Amino acid sequence: MRRKHGSMGAEEEENEINLTPMLDVVFIMLIFFIVTATFIKEAGIQVERPDTVTADTQDDASILIAISQTDEIWIDRQKRDPRAVRSIIERLHAENPKGSIVIQADEESTNEVLVIVLEAAKAAGVANVAIASDNT
Amino acid sequence: MRHHLDDIHVDEDENEINLTPMLDVVFIMLIFFIVTASFIKESGIDVNRPDAPVTESKPEDANILVMISANDEIYIDRRLIDPRAVRANIERLHAENPKGSVVIQANKKSTNKVLVWVMDSSRNAGVYNISIADQR
Repeated sequence: MRRKHGSMGAEEEENEINLTPMLDVVFIMLIFFIVTATFIKEAGIQVERPDTVTADTQDDASILIAISQTDEIWIDRQKRDPRAVRSIIERLHAENPKGSIVIQADEESTNEVLVIVLEAAKAAGVANVAIASDNT
Repeated sequence: MRHHLDDIHVDEDENEINLTPMLDVVFIMLIFFIVTASFIKESGIDVNRPDAPVTESKPEDANILVMISANDEIYIDRRLIDPRAVRANIERLHAENPKGSVVIQANKKSTNKVLVWVMDSSRNAGVYNISIADQR
């Protein structure tokens, strides 16, 4: 019984040597993907987006601002005051300077609130802003 | 004494077995991060196109003025326009004045749906240079 253990031990030593470089590669890939993943904060509510045909995919969207049917502004799962939107955008933009803003405005929301958010984004210094839509 | 020697063998076996579940966990995490790195796709309409220079539109370029009233009526050149005819009107005005950009003056109480509809029609007509102004 012990000899079998011994011979199995010799084979397993070969297996252990093969595992080490594979583990190195796997860990490096894992750390790479963890570092390059940016976490998008969901707005917090679902909205009915307007329909379009000419929309582009927003690949580097990182700040999501939702405007509900009743003109409530939701950022990061909390309802926000319109006057606070600018400082919130500045803070989120500092965390991820390359990220763009996507405004998920409901179809029935008024443009007054949309313009407030657009001006807050401009004041915070973020140039890349898009309005979310359902593209067909 | 033999009991102690048996215990030593059991310890070595445990070291070899531990690598397999750790590899499973590591691979699953790796695949998770690879998949979620490219997963979130928002589609939307750019309000500020990054490649277009951020310039104030010159007054000499007769801009195409679209007005949206409080009850979502679309006016071009002070005439009430049917929503389905917006694209054709913008195409016509753009052909008359290729340098002009579209300026949408939306009433505070107008809805996002109509605004996005006008923006989409404008992009369909080939004019991507759109500004949004708020009527105060």
